[in-house]
Amino acid sequence: MSEIAARAPRGAWRSRLGAESEAARGAPDARRLLQLTLAGIWLLDGVLQYQAFMFSKGFSDMLAGTAAGNPGTVARPITWDATLVQHHLVLLNTVFATIQLLLGLGIAWRPTLRVALAASVAWSLGVWWFGEGLGMVLTGDVSPVNGAPGAVILYALLAVLLWPSDRPGRTAPFAAARATGATVARALWLVLWLSLAYFALLPGNRAPQALHDMIAGMEDGEPGWLAALDRGAASLVAHQGLAASVVLAVALAIVAVGVYLPAPYARATLVLAIVIAAVIWVFGEAFGEIMAGGATDPNSGPLLALLALAYWPARTVAAAPGRVAPVSVDDEGTAAS
Amino acid sequence: MIPSWILDIFATIMLVVAAVSAARLVAARPWQRGARPAALTDIDVAHLLMGIAMAGQLATGLRTLPGGAWEVIFGVMTAWFAYRVVLDLRVSGVRALAGGHCAPHLIHAGAMLYMFAAVSAPAANGSGGSGGMGGMGGGMSGMGTLGLPFLAFLFALALVGYSIWDLDQLSGPGADGHYSLATARVTPADPVRAGVRAPAGPGPASSVAIAEPVSPAVVAEAPAVPPASAPADGTGVLAPWVATGCRIAMGVTMAFMLIIMI
Repeated sequence: MSEIAARAPRGAWRSRLGAESEAARGAPDARRLLQLTLAGIWLLDGVLQYQAFMFSKGFSDMLAGTAAGNPGTVARPITWDATLVQHHLVLLNTVFATIQLLLGLGIAWRPTLRVALAASVAWSLGVWWFGEGLGMVLTGDVSPVNGAPGAVILYALLAVLLWPSDRPGRTAPFAAARATGATVARALWLVLWLSLAYFALLPGNRAPQALHDMIAGMEDGEPGWLAALDRGAASLVAHQGLAASVVLAVALAIVAVGVYLPAPYARATLVLAIVIAAVIWVFGEAFGEIMAGGATDPNSGPLLALLALAYWPARTVAAAPGRVAPVSVDDEGTAAS
Repeated sequence: MIPSWILDIFATIMLVVAAVSAARLVAARPWQRGARPAALTDIDVAHLLMGIAMAGQLATGLRTLPGGAWEVIFGVMTAWFAYRVVLDLRVSGVRALAGGHCAPHLIHAGAMLYMFAAVSAPAANGSGGSGGMGGMGGGMSGMGTLGLPFLAFLFALALVGYSIWDLDQLSGPGADGHYSLATARVTPADPVRAGVRAPAGPGPASSVAIAEPVSPAVVAEAPAVPPASAPADGTGVLAPWVATGCRIAMGVTMAFMLIIMI
């Protein structure tokens, strides 16, 4: 912000909105941009939850289907929840959609950022259990290519890593380390990506046609060009299940340890993470099957990419003489001198 | 099928947006010489027309003009805002796409044009979707199904993105209440006056901040910030945040419509 802007009276911001002075507004920092992206995904989730399919019995059946294969203690509450949703479908689905819409708007609206992020963690954990059957990680029938460990748990992880506070004393090496510290943030990254590598090597995913069938199964209901892409990708990995699983697992393991490497190597592994996320999203998840109708979220691809960006090593530049020395503004819009 | 009362709620919101935009136009008296810049009038006209059109799409009873007429209207509107964005691009470069106020309206107008041009009539039995999830696609919304669903998805993403960005900027630095304007100390000898983000200074919030070089365009734009004595652009219904609020409501509703019509 310029000195000119600093002298402007309170409320002048409203005058500037929509006017030509937009360039002079405070640009959000890296963490705020990541929070806004998370907010956008929540908002998209809310909108998706309003689709006609969610007001049909198919939605409660979909919830009930996540109980299959899970231990009884996990499955019984899912079945109970699915039955409840079936009996009060319109009311509960409207509530679900509205909550997700509000989470997105709440994260974007700075005064409600903390409340919305905290609520998003609680909501994500609930949906992970009751809506995704804990991402099916306990069933053994899970793959990083089709959304393991459950997209919604990544929302919770991002909310924690992007929490609007800073640990005193140390300069964070990347945005995700600002709230939790670098050690905890790196450990969370390691656990996530190593678990994905482990899932890639599960027996069900090593079968010769496992990956082929998974990708080919995404064709249903997709636009022609996307179905053709899926068919092409599926044919590439036909009868290559073991080799594809091993290559994927190695790549995921490299990504997992990448955040412990010096910055240039870390950046390279983060680029690899983003590429993997993009490939998974396009070929394994068909853009979350949004264009087929009935998707509840864009699936894990965008979340994994967003997570990688949160670990992107920060450049720290010393203040140069003669440059503006602004008062920084944190995620909630509070000026810190 | 989406319950009709949900569609009615969104239609009501759009009618409110249209009414507010009409009130802004009346209050601004754009027909009087020098009363208000045309640059702001076009936005209110766009909001007014979009509000009426979207309300008509959401609730059959609120339909006004035939689809073909709306296509012409939104075609002209899209061309107009495309022209405005090109002008902005010449002045501000790509910043015009992120921070300019014409780019979101170009997306809004384009999305409306697409919605009217690509929609097919809803199936009588309500199962005329794109085939996904056992035929539970857009036809089930009762509003028809959109062709080229990937375009609908892209428009929805852009609309959500601009809505989120607007909300952030509305509640950002300089807001009232316990939020205060960000201040800056400027070295008098230096010609650079604005546009530099926190260069790793003290304080937790700047711990990973990056100093960005100041482009000539940014420096050129710095004087556009109104000084303390400058009169506000508008108060009451004419306050710019009212237009931004309308834009947010419209963006979210439009994204909702695009998604349920896929």
